Amino acid sequence: MSERATGAGPGLDFRARGERVSPRRRGAWGWVDVRGRRLGQWAFILNRLTGLGLLVYLFLHLGVLSMLAVGPGAWDGFVSTALTPAFLALDVVLIFGLLFHGLNGLRITLVGLGLVVNRQQALFVALMVFGAIALLIAGLRIFAVG
Amino acid sequence: MRERAVDPETGRSAWKGGREAERPAWGWILQAVTGVLVLILITVHMVANHFIVSRGLRDYRDVIAYLSNPIVMVWELVFLIVVTWHGLLGLRAVLFDFGFSPRTERRITRLLSVVGVAAVAYGMWLTAVIVSRG
Repeated sequence: MSERATGAGPGLDFRARGERVSPRRRGAWGWVDVRGRRLGQWAFILNRLTGLGLLVYLFLHLGVLSMLAVGPGAWDGFVSTALTPAFLALDVVLIFGLLFHGLNGLRITLVGLGLVVNRQQALFVALMVFGAIALLIAGLRIFAVG
Repeated sequence: MRERAVDPETGRSAWKGGREAERPAWGWILQAVTGVLVLILITVHMVANHFIVSRGLRDYRDVIAYLSNPIVMVWELVFLIVVTWHGLLGLRAVLFDFGFSPRTERRITRLLSVVGVAAVAYGMWLTAVIVSRG
């Protein structure tokens, strides 16, 4: 079975030795099918989900900024709303998405350039540890505001 | 249905039957380049607009003053262009993995291009409106 047929690129073998991965493909919804996944595949799925979420957020964000065109009352009213606990919790979700997508994307780029191909699991773990610390600091700062 | 596989690293479709070889890598290269740029642009955006600002958001007057700085204006507009491009390229890659016909794929590309240009045009208009209040 080729690496390609299992849906994994070379150097991405996070799975334990000997684990079977079905070579059968999963149809159009294959990328959200979680059965028999390895760490690299989880990273791939989460990368796409956070990416789609961030794209939705981008357009929401652009829409919200239109309140600046309405005037000071509209914008400053929004600022007060955004400081409520529910919005602050969503900010933490946003920061998680940004950190995961950004740091995982950095890993994909470095590996795609042929750098750190042999150490990519260590790279992934290191980036995720960094991301977790950054998320913790951001979360504490966000709720210190509220 | 055509058999398909997805390279979890690149997110590119790895079509059986050699289709992968026919598809140029420019999509991946552009995604990586815009991705690295977004990482730099968004870090400054987040720190400048949220982390060093009291309460995490600028009030109306502060936004106008901040965005009236030409360096900031250019930075934010470049960020808008690059992040929109990166996001829509990503959506395009996700959609293309559903295995549409080449004709549908071209339509998707055109539609997403229009969406991207509209988003950037909107951002430029909004920037002009905000700065004109200064």
